[in-house]
Order: sequence, then C-alpha cells, then structure tokens
Amino acid sequence: MNETAAILEVKNLARDVPTKNGPKTIVNDISYNFEKGRIYNIMGPSGAGKSSFLRLINRLDEPTKGEVVFNGEKFDQCPACGLRRKIGYLFQTPYLFPGTVRDNLLYAKDKLTEEDIQRLVKQSRIPPGIIDDDVENLSIGEKQRVALARLLAMDPEVILLDEPTSALDPTYTKAIEELIKCIVKERSLTVIMVTHNPEQALRMGGQALLLVAGRLVETGTVDEVVKNPKTEVGRRYRDMELQ
Amino acid sequence: MNTPGFVEVLFSLALVAIAIGLTLWWKIPVQKDMSFGSVRAFVQLVAVGYVLKYIFELESIALIFLAILIMITVGAHTASGRAKKVRGTFVIAFAAIFTGSAITLAVLLLLNVITFEARYVIPLAGMIVANSMNATTLTINRITSDITSNRLAIETALSLGKNWRLATRTFQREAAIAGMISVLNFMKTVGIVALPGAMTGMILAGAEPVKAVLFQIIVAYMLLSVVTISTIVALELTVRKFFTSFHQLRLEGK
Repeated sequence: MNETAAILEVKNLARDVPTKNGPKTIVNDISYNFEKGRIYNIMGPSGAGKSSFLRLINRLDEPTKGEVVFNGEKFDQCPACGLRRKIGYLFQTPYLFPGTVRDNLLYAKDKLTEEDIQRLVKQSRIPPGIIDDDVENLSIGEKQRVALARLLAMDPEVILLDEPTSALDPTYTKAIEELIKCIVKERSLTVIMVTHNPEQALRMGGQALLLVAGRLVETGTVDEVVKNPKTEVGRRYRDMELQ
Repeated sequence: MNTPGFVEVLFSLALVAIAIGLTLWWKIPVQKDMSFGSVRAFVQLVAVGYVLKYIFELESIALIFLAILIMITVGAHTASGRAKKVRGTFVIAFAAIFTGSAITLAVLLLLNVITFEARYVIPLAGMIVANSMNATTLTINRITSDITSNRLAIETALSLGKNWRLATRTFQREAAIAGMISVLNFMKTVGIVALPGAMTGMILAGAEPVKAVLFQIIVAYMLLSVVTISTIVALELTVRKFFTSFHQLRLEGK
C-alpha cells in the first residue's frame, strides 16, 4: 500500500442525538482523509463534537449519516470487534481492569509472550518493576501509560486518543506527548488525538482539524490552523485560545 | 390438630392486631398497608382455594395449563413492575419465567417425579413461578444498574475489540449471583435454620416426616433449576437490550 494513501476516509459523517427539544446535530457533515503514519490533532472549543467524532471513528456510536472507510473497506462491511482492534481508542480517563499491569496487557491480547510484554512495557516507558503490581496502586500517569501499552498490544494501525493528558500534570503531560511521538515513529502509526489546547497541538505537530459546533471549519498543518487560520471562525478560536 | 376453618382464621387476626398495635406504638407508618394486605391476602387466598377446588375436581388438562399461564403472566407483570425501566421488561420477564417454569415442570413430569394431576402440578407451579419471578426481578435490576453505572469499563472492553458478551461478563456473573442468592442461601440452610413451607405443610397435614423431607428435597432441586434457568434467560435478554448489532452500548435505549 502507498505510504501516503488514506488509511481512513471519513465521508459526510454526521450524528444526531435526541434531546428534550428534538434531535441535536453534534457531528455535522464531516469529510476528511487521514493518511498513514501521521499525527492529527482534533481541536475545538468544548462541545464542538471532538470526542463524538472520535467515537464515530471507533464505531462506539453509529452515525446518523455518512460513512467511514478503513483501508478501502466500508465500516458497515467490517465486523465491529475486528475493526476496533485495528483502530484503538484511548479514553480521556483510563480505565484499567482489576488485576495487575500484566493482566491488563493480556486482556487486550491473550497470546502475548513474555518478550512481547517486555517490549510493550519498554515502549510505553512503564517502570519494569511494576508489571506485577495491582493497578489500584498506580499513579494516574502510570495508569495512562498502561492503558496506552494495552492499546498497543493489539497492534493497531490507527490510535484514537481522547484528550489523553487532560488529567495529568505538566511533567506527565510532556512525557506522554513525547511517548506518543516516539511510538508513531517506531510503529508508523496514524494518531488522531483530541486536544482542547492549541499549544499541545503545536508541540505534537502534524495536521490539525478545527471543529466548531460539530462542523469541520479548518484543516491544514498545526501551524497553519493555530497561527494563520483561513476562516473567521478559526481566527476567533485562535484569539480566544491563544490570548 | 383440627383442620382450620373460618373461625380459626378469625382468631388468627389477633396476630395482625398485635403487629398493627406494635407499629402504632413505634409510629411506623405501615398500618394501612398491613390492614389492606391482610384483607387482600384473605380474599385472594379464599378465592384461590375455591378455584383450586374446582380445578382439582375437573382435572381438565386445558384448565391446568390455563392456570399456569395465568400465574406466569401475573408473575411477569409483577416482575416487570418492580424491575428498573428497561424497554420491554414484561417480555423479558415473561420469557424468563416461562422458560424456567416450562423446563423444570417438563423434567419433573417426564421423569415421573410427579404425576400430571392438578393437585400436584398447580401448587408446584405456584412455587416455581414465585421463585422465578423474584430471581428475574433481582437479575434485571442488578444487570441494569451495573451496566448503566459502568459505561467506561464496558466501552473500554468494547474498544479493545471485545464483543458485548465479553465486555459485560463480570457484571453478568454478579447479576446471576444476585438473582440466585436466595435459592443458594435456602439450599445451604434448609432443614437447619428453618423447615421449609412445603415440608411443614405436609407434616401439619399428617404426612410422615421422612416422606415430607423427600418431597422437600425435590422442591429444593426444582427451585434451583427454575431460578438458574430464569436468571440466565433474564440476563441474556436484558443485556442484549443495551447493545446494537455493532456491539455499541446504548444507554439511551434502555
């Protein structure tokens, strides 16, 4: 497959949710092609539909209209469980299953060898001494690393990260950002990361998509979208966020 | 002991008076429920007594099936009323109670443990449906509450490529235990903590204690079977309500 070919194509994707006042559109007619081995920052103010968009790409929710094509295959023609193993999802608050770090890695893939486990631990910068510790005793930063390692255990081609550093302090945040960048290089992964912080997007680099009120209003490199937005909505967002 | 008549029932109202008096003294506001409940129990049981007398005399197969179907329908209605609001609870409860009851009764009849006579089948069906109803309610409530309060855990499992069954396995086990706990406790303590109703009834009616005990053992195994089957059916159908065919959790659909 061509390295720059779209691994994930989103076509006219939309999702309505029922509310007391009738259906509300939270993702509105988004089309975009994600290429292999790149980092994409999904930006936008609160309630812009960033996480909802990510959930549609993991097929955790069903779109009202539109479609997603992964490696040339339409989502609704792929078995959901197999698809999710190829398009991993990291939630904002990591949930670890009761047990040890090792148990959590084996939950994602029960045929991991000891060598695989050691490689994942090293790649995710998990201290080797905690591998058989109960996950209850881990710090939030360690939990996020374990959740990331568990995700990588499935050998995904795309990883979706929903504000993975929102619960972390600045030191842990930068460490996780560096970790994600290293993993992308090592594994040639496509990363689609939600962030409400333009400065974080600038640190991560790559491409950016700006969502406002469920619509995709701006795309380009992070520098272009954050520093030189082409649209009025984009400029308003920049002025508000980079004050 | 004399077989009790209406006079003895009237005298036993003294016990209701004691209960109501105590609650008045302790200012527990249940007197209305107690009074209404006592009258209702009297009316319902006397009516059932006459209906059973009629059915026993007729020995009609159709009437036996009809009586069991009514029991199951009322049981399902009660279970769905007490269960948390999941769409289609009545259908789930009916399927769970019906399946558990039908299989258990069929096994008892096919193995000739009991004979197909109204005086055996109907009282046993009553016990079966009542226990199935309680297990079904407890199971539906527990699994609904666990699924709605563990969204992150379930969606994490789904996002790791697990299907809905695997993603809810822990909660299904917990809910199954909740549904079966009363019969499991009953099996552990039967004969030690209390002498169960069926056995007590037989002994009071003059049966030999050993015969009463043997019958009670059959009843215990019967309850274990019906409660297990109903719990599993209720679980399967309730959990399915929360997921789409693409293994997506839909809490809004409950």
